Amino acid sequence: MKQFILRRVAQLVLVVFSVTFLTFASLNLVGDPLFNIVGVLSGIPDEQCEAVARGEIEDTQSSGLNVGDCALIAQAKEQNNLDKNVAERYGIWLSDMASGDFGTSFVNGDEISDIVKERLPVTIRLIVLAQIVALGIAIPWGVASAYRANRGFDKASTVGSFGLLSIPNFALGVILLYFFTLRWQIFPSRYENAGWWSELKALTLPAFTLGLGLAATYQRLLRTDLITTLQDDFIHMARAKGMSDRHIMYRHALRPSMFSVITVFGVNTGALIGGALVVEQIFSIPGVGTELVEAVLRNDPPVVISLISVVAIGFVLINFFVDLMYGYLDPRVRTS
Amino acid sequence: MSEIETTGESRLEAISMDDDVVDAVKKKLGVGFWIAVGWLGLLVATVVLAPLLPFDDPDKLASGPARTGPSMDNWFGTDALGRDVFARTVYGARVSLVVGFIAIAFGMVVGGSLGMIAGYFRGRVDQVISFLFFTLLSFPGLILALLITSTFDRTLRTVSLTLGVLAVAPVGRLARAATLVFAEREFVQAARVIGAKHFRILTRELLPVVLIPMAALALLGMGVAIVAEGGLAFLQLSVEDISWGVIINDGRGIRDLQENPHVALMPIGVMFLTILALNFAGDRVREYFDVRETAF
Amino acid sequence: MAEASAANTQLLVRDLTVRFPTTRGTVQAVNGVTFDLARGASLGIVGESGSGKSVTAKTLMNLLPRTAEVAGDVIFEGEDVRRLASEGREHFWGVKMTMVFQDPMTSLNPVKKCGEQIAETLRYHLKRDRKTALAEAEDLLAQVGIPEPGKRVDQYPHELSGGLRQRVVIAMALACEPSLLIADEPTTAVDVTVQKHLLDLLDKLREDRGMSMILITHDLGVARGRCDEIAVMYAGRLVERSAPETLFSDSRHPYTDALLRSIPRIDQPSHTRLEPIPGRPPELINPPEQCAYAPRCRFARSDCLESIPDISGVAGMHEFACFHPANTDRGREALAANLAQGCTVAGLEISGAGASS
Ligand SMILES: Nc1ncnc2c1ncn2[C@@H]1O[C@H](COP(=O)(O)OP(=O)(O)OP(=O)(O)O)[C@@H](O)[C@H]1O
Ligand SMILES: [Mg+2]
Repeated sequence: MKQFILRRVAQLVLVVFSVTFLTFASLNLVGDPLFNIVGVLSGIPDEQCEAVARGEIEDTQSSGLNVGDCALIAQAKEQNNLDKNVAERYGIWLSDMASGDFGTSFVNGDEISDIVKERLPVTIRLIVLAQIVALGIAIPWGVASAYRANRGFDKASTVGSFGLLSIPNFALGVILLYFFTLRWQIFPSRYENAGWWSELKALTLPAFTLGLGLAATYQRLLRTDLITTLQDDFIHMARAKGMSDRHIMYRHALRPSMFSVITVFGVNTGALIGGALVVEQIFSIPGVGTELVEAVLRNDPPVVISLISVVAIGFVLINFFVDLMYGYLDPRVRTS
Repeated sequence: MSEIETTGESRLEAISMDDDVVDAVKKKLGVGFWIAVGWLGLLVATVVLAPLLPFDDPDKLASGPARTGPSMDNWFGTDALGRDVFARTVYGARVSLVVGFIAIAFGMVVGGSLGMIAGYFRGRVDQVISFLFFTLLSFPGLILALLITSTFDRTLRTVSLTLGVLAVAPVGRLARAATLVFAEREFVQAARVIGAKHFRILTRELLPVVLIPMAALALLGMGVAIVAEGGLAFLQLSVEDISWGVIINDGRGIRDLQENPHVALMPIGVMFLTILALNFAGDRVREYFDVRETAF
Repeated sequence: MAEASAANTQLLVRDLTVRFPTTRGTVQAVNGVTFDLARGASLGIVGESGSGKSVTAKTLMNLLPRTAEVAGDVIFEGEDVRRLASEGREHFWGVKMTMVFQDPMTSLNPVKKCGEQIAETLRYHLKRDRKTALAEAEDLLAQVGIPEPGKRVDQYPHELSGGLRQRVVIAMALACEPSLLIADEPTTAVDVTVQKHLLDLLDKLREDRGMSMILITHDLGVARGRCDEIAVMYAGRLVERSAPETLFSDSRHPYTDALLRSIPRIDQPSHTRLEPIPGRPPELINPPEQCAYAPRCRFARSDCLESIPDISGVAGMHEFACFHPANTDRGREALAANLAQGCTVAGLEISGAGASS
């Protein structure tokens, strides 16, 4: 077990490096970061500024420059370490990031760590809520299906979950928005956070949008695993002990049947993060997703890099912890 | 005797009917499969023939009065600018299907080759390729797509290839797993013994059998890619053209939804049916071949 | 030896029949099984694989799949068990009547601690609180002879050996002090060395608690010293029933006879050859109207292929279902005739060897 954790930690570190590096490099190699900070001034050739620095020409109108342009460029380069190569810059950025300094936005100078602090909790709440919705639906649903496998209810469930799995989440979002907010006006049309209740109401539809499809995925897996578990002798033993079917389904069969669900739980959190980007757009929720999209559209690489890295690292960590969860679910894994 | 034995002994009442189901599945693709294929065929035919058919220009403004519901003239109604939603859905299908197709084709070619190489040669090569897959999978899908489209441009080609990159790891893993299994089988061992070249074994012996499980994944994956394109459209990061995602995104404003929900709901319906068909067909193919698998 | 006097009868099974409809036809798993069990007595049910032993036990325990078609009466302490089942009675199974299964490796829930699994029964049926239940569980573990019970309660099943696990299962079954314990091949899956310990333990517990027991086994030898009565099953029917002494010294049904020849006996020199039973187990789907054992029987005559013999004899003493019982004149005649022909009416080739009766 210990060795297993160590191996996974090593893998984790490696993946975090490659993911952040990929993100960093792609946004730094393509396009001109200087342009993003100083705009058209970035078009001034380096030689010209070097000449100014050597005093050969003056940075006045006559040389096609404005007073202080070169100073500005120099400052921008210095602040953002643009004169260093990508690898070096990645190193600096990474150590800054590790110490909690995410840098500032090129465009509006906001502290990125503030943005993360403000936006991330909303998205996390949304995703957690979506998982709760998904599991809350999938567990009783899967149990009911497996309990009378291949009977009417189970057959209807198969069709139902197949349908749910075929609705893209943005489509489901639009449909839910149309019915529950516009037609029946049950849920608010804009995100509000005046206390947990109003936020819960605002996050309910988005959470269902994300959670329903996931519920179908979990239900399928849980059903299959439950059916296998129900053939085990210890289920007969529990019945011989006189436990009610309900007790047996939930207290005996459920936990050993959660492996597949747990396995895809981590992977699906990734899908949820992607889905959250889209769903936040539909329901105008000020989470990481909306900020990320805005940052992309306003061409703000530092913000994009930081947000993507934060999200990707979170995703990797979740999958790491999911692996550890096996140990909890099955004591046999713990000792081997 | 042994036949009965398998159905008997130690099973909870819940599953005592399973053998009936096994019998029912048999080795048939079923009517559902052909309906699904029929729908996909109809869609492809409509898309290909669209310029010849008497559809409106999808971009033509005031093709009917703005914001009207479905009618004989405008089957799916018109949007806020009076454009014909049916025509837009048909032309949107073109982009969506092309994106889905290119994406999965790219995923199959790149992911499939990498996966087969990893599964065949094992060792170092496998470690490197598997780590690559692992890293790719460590990005939440849409985030990776967003990263790529935001660094490059939003042409059909870029978007398709971006989604293709997303498909590389899942397809690759499947190909690797299948190759690992099949490489142990007698027919491959036999080819090795008579001294066939690696390339020849990979393409002549392994590819045909590895393709079978991949076929199902291709259908399912095409659905995933079409949905992902829609997601990108909602982030305004997809193609600068009309796709289903783009149309739905156009029609999802509060005012549009209130006054003419058909602009969003009609293409959603078509898209749903298409994804359903792809999923269903993929599922059937998988089941169909799983049965054959045991016969190898 | 417990005589089945009416007042003392705890379990009464009459004409029990169980069928399983399947796609391949109806499996006639149990056919008209009838027996009684006196309070505190122990009954051994013996028969080869597929003879319907477990299905009989599961019917008593209400563990059959819903698809099973059951007929006949099962009366336990004056209550109609099948009615209890359809009414969904709680706190009956597991409290008054429990069962121990064959494989201790799989009959414990792998994700729950042993102590918890025992305590669960107490909490569920007797509404004990967690602490008391766990303490009682520890006590039970001590009673079934598990060393260091305090440590074992906190262990998971996979941390115990097979023998210990079966003891845990037994402790679990005994938690609510049942008056009838059904043990379905409780020692088949454990080491030979452990078998005797477990059987002795079951015997001792039964005596201490005045509990009755149905011991299901393949092995006549196992049932011999421990049961007041032995019932032999073949193809879903009871074919012979008597006290062990009688059965071993004076068996009637040719199947029992053959079974006895196929186990080593202490009263015979160890080099005596064991005879396997020829032929294959009977088909339970659409069986022909004939004695199910006839195709494998050395005694079979033409009447055996025409109808099914009923079980008869002195009730509670020695009953059997055979037209040409072994160790009787009729049987000897039949065997002699068959030997003379070299084969039985069912076409089974036989020779003189081993025909000591
Ligand atoms: N749920 C079921 N559906 C169909 N047939 C069944 C079912 N349960 C048991 N049977 C059949 O009933 C017959 C009797 O089975 P049973 O389990 O009682 O045998 P057994 O005497 O306990 O054998 P073993 O010694 O192998 O445990 C077998 O042929 C079995 O296949
Ligand atoms: Mg049995």
